[in-house]
Amino acid sequence: MEGIYAIWQRDLLKFFRDKARLFGSFTMPILFLLIFGGGLSGTMESMMGSMAGAGEGFNYVEFVFPGIVAMTLLMTSIFSSLSIIEDKDFGYMKEILVSPISRVSIAVGKMLGAATVATIQGIILFLLIPLLGLSYSIVSLLQVLPFMFLFAAALSGLGLLIASLIRSTQGFQMIVQVLVMPMIFLSGALFPINNMPAWMDIIVKLNPVTYGVDVMKKIMIDVDSLSPQVQNAMGLNLDVFGRPVTMIEEILFIAGFAALLVLLATFSFRRANA
Amino acid sequence: MEPIISVRGLTKTYKQTTAVNNIDFDVDQGEIFGFLGPNGAGKSTTINMICTMLAPTSGSITINGWNAAKQRGKVRESIGLIFQENTLDEKLTARENLMLHCRFYRVPKSRRAARIREVLEIVDLTDKENQRVDTFSGGMKRRLEIARGLLHYPKVLFLDEPTVGLDPQTRAHLWEYILRLKKKENITMFLTTHYLDEAEISDRVAIMDQGEIIAIDTPDALKRQLGGDIIELSSTDNEAARREVEAAVPEAEITVDDGILRIKVADSDKFVSTILKSLDTPVTSLNIRRPTLNDVFLAFTGRKISEAAED
Repeated sequence: MEGIYAIWQRDLLKFFRDKARLFGSFTMPILFLLIFGGGLSGTMESMMGSMAGAGEGFNYVEFVFPGIVAMTLLMTSIFSSLSIIEDKDFGYMKEILVSPISRVSIAVGKMLGAATVATIQGIILFLLIPLLGLSYSIVSLLQVLPFMFLFAAALSGLGLLIASLIRSTQGFQMIVQVLVMPMIFLSGALFPINNMPAWMDIIVKLNPVTYGVDVMKKIMIDVDSLSPQVQNAMGLNLDVFGRPVTMIEEILFIAGFAALLVLLATFSFRRANA
Repeated sequence: MEPIISVRGLTKTYKQTTAVNNIDFDVDQGEIFGFLGPNGAGKSTTINMICTMLAPTSGSITINGWNAAKQRGKVRESIGLIFQENTLDEKLTARENLMLHCRFYRVPKSRRAARIREVLEIVDLTDKENQRVDTFSGGMKRRLEIARGLLHYPKVLFLDEPTVGLDPQTRAHLWEYILRLKKKENITMFLTTHYLDEAEISDRVAIMDQGEIIAIDTPDALKRQLGGDIIELSSTDNEAARREVEAAVPEAEITVDDGILRIKVADSDKFVSTILKSLDTPVTSLNIRRPTLNDVFLAFTGRKISEAAED
């Protein structure tokens, strides 16, 4: 346990020390909020509104904000786990590997560290809520926190698995382009995933981020106050291949996904660093 | 007294090659054990097996009474490792680096603060405690690593080329710290180095070549085995000088290297006048010395360590 704690604590120490990284990591979500929230919201609202025949009820910024928080969780989790490649390059991994801590503790500690850092980043984004004129309830924000951590842990597990498979920091850019970007765009984080071509729909439904984003939206947005048409327009009635899914199922799926990834990551980590 | 490290029949084979071939040796408690050999001799492979980082093909290793194959965790708690390369987290302060190490090695909470102070004192870094490591010089980083390696009260400290990449003055200082440490903590040290003059501080040295230990003894005994002294001379015509010495002292062993005639004799006092008398070729320099570990290395491996390193 002490070992897990040490590895977790190191990641947090470094996160708060590295002001440039702390600051830089907000440029992307804020840029997205500006572009999507400001630039696109009018178009999106009239489009979605007329499509659903829902008129005024569709608030795009309210729709996209949880998606952008989820995007931040995804990016931060993956990048934080990839820091183990940096640790290998700078030699520190050796200090960890020769110590008596087990490989499982190293993987779990790294995963929790990355998930904590990602959750903190997500929480900092909440500060923008009043500025954007959004009205999520405090209760819903508190309720979404544990799920954010769970979701971030699953994504950190994914990052860890990737990190144990790629050898260099050069692989970094590639991972972002072939994995992270599609995972964001094909998840319903930025636009409703209605009426998609069949092949794209399959990818969307296989993408775990889809369910994470959906849960966050369902918790944060006051779904019951919206008319069924608006709910549909927002893509909040997610169905998987014809079968509607409940939020509980989605949460269980993310939890299972997290557990599976920790296992895989630990296994792959042990093999790579035996 | 039980040896602190005991290696029996240790072998490591890769597909085609045998890196370490059935070696046996003991390291006694509290001694400085120098482990020497050219690159590719199997030194690193052996150390990695002793430190539980690599599984042996066959053979057994016991450290501090623990079996290195079966009780990895216990072995790891019993040893401290100083690597060739820097393994500090430079973004953190000296103290933070040490604190993390305490956690990794489960140093009891109540002893951490005092122990950190103690090891920082040994390496004279007490006043740098709260500075970030990336502001440290190369020598300071090395010292901090040594301090870190000591934190968890290891029984054996492994120093793998601890002075590589440091300037001569820093190197000399570092050895002072290491000797001070040995006095203070009565710790066993397992040392590898390319600078054989540094290995002179060892109580015993082992020389490894081509996967086998070819010599193991105190530095003095190894030098005595070489038999006698070395007369080094250079002259205007080394080949002619060589023939003249050979004729006068048939029992001398003569090698020519870098324009220097190296003559090995049992007793330099007796032979130096004979040799000088026998020479018609003008002598440009003359040096008489006792053998060093460099000579021992040369005699056992047939190479100088600097040449071997370039292989």
